[in-house]
Amino acid sequence: MKKVTFLLVLVLILSLALTACSAPAAEAPAGEEPAAEEPAAETEEVVFGVFEPLTGAYAAGGAMELEGIELAQELYPEVLGMPIRVVVVDNKSDKVESANAATKLVDQEKVNVVLGSWGSSFSMAAGPIVEEAGVPAIGTSCTNPLVTLGNDYYFRVTFIDSFQGVVMANYAYDVLGAEKVVIVQDISNDYAVGLAKFFKDEFVRLTGDEESIMSIANYNTGDQDFSAQLTNIKAMNPDAIFAPGGYSETAMLVKQAKELGLEAPFLGGDAWEAAEFLEIGGDAVNGVVFSTFFDAAAPLTPESEIFINAYREKYGEDPASVTALAYDAYILAIDAIERAGSTDPEAIRDALAETVGFDGAAGVVTLDANGDAIKNAVIKTVENGEFTYLTTISPK
Amino acid sequence: MIDKKNLIRFGLILILILILTILNTTMGKYEIRVLNLAGIYIILGLSLNVINGFTGLFSLGHAGFMAIGAYTSSLLTMSALQKESNFFAEPIVPWLANVQIGFLPALLMGGIIAAILGALIAAPILKLTDDYLAIATLGFSEIIRVIFTNTQSLTNGALGIKGLTRFTTIHYTWGIAILTVLFMFSLRRSSYGKALMAIREDQTAAEAMGIDLFKHKLLAFTIGSFFAGIGGGLLAHLMGTIDPLMFRFLLTFNVLLIVVLGGIGSITGTAISAVVVTVMLEWLRFLDGVIDLGFMTIQGIPGLRMVLFSLLLMMVIIFKQKGLMGRDEITLDSLGGFLGRFKKKEA
Repeated sequence: MKKVTFLLVLVLILSLALTACSAPAAEAPAGEEPAAEEPAAETEEVVFGVFEPLTGAYAAGGAMELEGIELAQELYPEVLGMPIRVVVVDNKSDKVESANAATKLVDQEKVNVVLGSWGSSFSMAAGPIVEEAGVPAIGTSCTNPLVTLGNDYYFRVTFIDSFQGVVMANYAYDVLGAEKVVIVQDISNDYAVGLAKFFKDEFVRLTGDEESIMSIANYNTGDQDFSAQLTNIKAMNPDAIFAPGGYSETAMLVKQAKELGLEAPFLGGDAWEAAEFLEIGGDAVNGVVFSTFFDAAAPLTPESEIFINAYREKYGEDPASVTALAYDAYILAIDAIERAGSTDPEAIRDALAETVGFDGAAGVVTLDANGDAIKNAVIKTVENGEFTYLTTISPK
Repeated sequence: MIDKKNLIRFGLILILILILTILNTTMGKYEIRVLNLAGIYIILGLSLNVINGFTGLFSLGHAGFMAIGAYTSSLLTMSALQKESNFFAEPIVPWLANVQIGFLPALLMGGIIAAILGALIAAPILKLTDDYLAIATLGFSEIIRVIFTNTQSLTNGALGIKGLTRFTTIHYTWGIAILTVLFMFSLRRSSYGKALMAIREDQTAAEAMGIDLFKHKLLAFTIGSFFAGIGGGLLAHLMGTIDPLMFRFLLTFNVLLIVVLGGIGSITGTAISAVVVTVMLEWLRFLDGVIDLGFMTIQGIPGLRMVLFSLLLMMVIIFKQKGLMGRDEITLDSLGGFLGRFKKKEA
């Protein structure tokens, strides 16, 4: 028995040593020599690297975005006369794996552009890697301001929390005429924390009153019971409640608020736009107002129509908004390559940085100095258990 | 005789360092990253091995201690400017805003704080055994994570920290990994180590022999947390970014998997399985892509990698229930004996 153990371990070590040593050796002729011999081979295809959570906790989000990228590739398989090859790697809904995946894309696959990922945390892990390699990355639905902050190589097609927070603060102040607001945020969700912060800053600026945000209540992802927070809020009697967070928690929050007899209107962000929000919330969520960027019923641009029709044809249903964002990331990359007239990552980066008025499926994208998208916000409400379009707000 | 053996050991370590130095200059960034991770997982695996392997306490709180080490060292290496740009939602507490120290002292501080908190957490719950201890430690690690999520002015909460200078290199990861292996061997040979193993074998008998159970269990926890903190700090500075969600219990399971696969209690087993698991997970990535077999191409299914990896794990556990090494070690003696047998056969 002992002998078998030894043999097994020895074989393992040997195989390990072999793979470790042979990997770079095999890599060198594949990656470098052809480039020297026939430089044309290098430019024959354009490689888009996609890293998404395809397994693990956020696999559903990753799958939705991948649909968008696949659809975009079917519609636009070429750029500058060269075929586009999409390399998809899984980041396992894990930050460490995400960094590995991004390194593999830029270092081994030699991609021209990186697309992804669902979840800001994973994009942040890839940030320093793409920056060091000098390969531009286009974020799909990552909204954390830290993703692009101080990183010249990370861009994104989704609008960030700062604008959304500002839009909702303006809505609360101008349309609802609210003077006193309470914030209920999911403290363990970076998206909710960011949104709450920008809403607070803007609302205080609008009212000129430090006390206009009466209180900030916290809960954690996965919480089911909000009666403690809601009882406190009821005693304060606010004009409106801003509650950024995931759809399932907020749906329960709104439901419990109505049961407690809290009449103040609820305001929120794009994360609410999910069928589950309506299912869990039922009648209670009628009348909530939230900002988002995409409405399948009211196409924003000609590209939206192409996208929605193609999606309906392929999958037989309406696309999710993150699918549209992933689609946009892909076509924005094509647009940047065409504008740059080159597939050199640095040239693509420079072209991306100058993106102005790009027609995407999820709205017109203009990238600001940070690499964040400035785009119109759509305000929606829930009427009779259905999401209903209210108005569109343009950034100032 | 002892001197000669030590000389051989020293030589072997030198050869390992030489190999690593060569790999460090010849390999691409991707392979170096995997190698770095392997080194970090050796440290983490060994640190859990002290608690779960040597002492036989079933702890599931490792991610929490890693989080403490990661956050402590990160906050200490960040410049005032980095802190200001990271903490845009809520400013950082003033006493931390301008603190900046070097990487090694920061790592050490991370380890020390993790060790202190590890001891503080362990002290009240060490009376528990088996599953109860596992649940309590798991709870503590989640509590640490929730605290980090909620103390926004200290950790930046759910937004996470980014832009850490990526200090972690092969020299740090493997240097510390080698030191950890050496420390673990000398710990096990010491009277403390023997006492820990006595507790593992039979708690009552150990106590009857005059071993202070509480003191020794606490020692195991403190050492384990210290190295977990160091590992966490290295991981943070390899990634350049951390957030509380990184330290979910899944991370503990990753480390536990390495320990169980290598053989609970075996130092060399843990080290080997840390390398095997890390390299395998990355190497199996080809399954997710398009596989070209020459005569046919298979369209990869995302996630196939994890399926196969899990299958391999199950096979190992079914056929080798005590892990790859059981409680055995690869030592000079066993290696010599092994080679000796081959020589005899040849003769």
